[in-house]
Amino acid sequence: MQDHVNKENWVAMFREVGLSDEAMKKWHHLFETRHPEGHEGFLKWLGIPSDEINKIRANSR
Amino acid sequence: MSRSTLLYYDRIGLLCASERTSAGYRVYTQNEFNRLERICIFRNAGLSLENVRELLSSGAAPSVKILENRLQDLEEQILFLRGQQHAIIAMLKKMTNGSFKPIVDKKMWVKMMEAAGMDESSMAKWHAEFERRAPKAHKEFLMSLGIPKDEARKIQEWSKENR
Repeated sequence: MQDHVNKENWVAMFREVGLSDEAMKKWHHLFETRHPEGHEGFLKWLGIPSDEINKIRANSR
Repeated sequence: MSRSTLLYYDRIGLLCASERTSAGYRVYTQNEFNRLERICIFRNAGLSLENVRELLSSGAAPSVKILENRLQDLEEQILFLRGQQHAIIAMLKKMTNGSFKPIVDKKMWVKMMEAAGMDESSMAKWHAEFERRAPKAHKEFLMSLGIPKDEARKIQEWSKENR
């Protein structure tokens, strides 16, 4: 059991419930286009460094 | 780094300049400079001066303990802040007759998950997985979606049963 979830944990949980890479890509795209601030906040919450966040967001547009 | 901070560190014996110029100015050696660098790193992580002193003088095991304690403090503070955030959101909701919304609320979140191909049963599985791995983070996450405390608790309980 852990207190925080990081990117790897989050991806693992999504895979566990059966989301494909394609679905996760789509999800990022939706998140970025519908709620850009929310997307940024969420990625920060996962402890992802800011330069990687910028990359993920740019790739999600 | 201000002059007064350096003087203060000198006064409390945390960082003393070993040399002085003839005019009385402190001269710091490379060693002291390195020590100061470590002090700054610890201070930036919010560690107390007392902790910094211990970290600089003790071995790996006590240092791990100090850092773990600080991490625990931070986690408690984050939860405390989440609680305050929650109270403010509740006040704003009341004052604006329910029109105030967090950046991403529960509805938006569920919509995105559905659009990505998650149905109700996979969302239930996801909650169960989240609860099993990291209950604290699960709670924090639910609260960030503006879900009221009682409802968040219910979701967590039901996630536990769903394992």
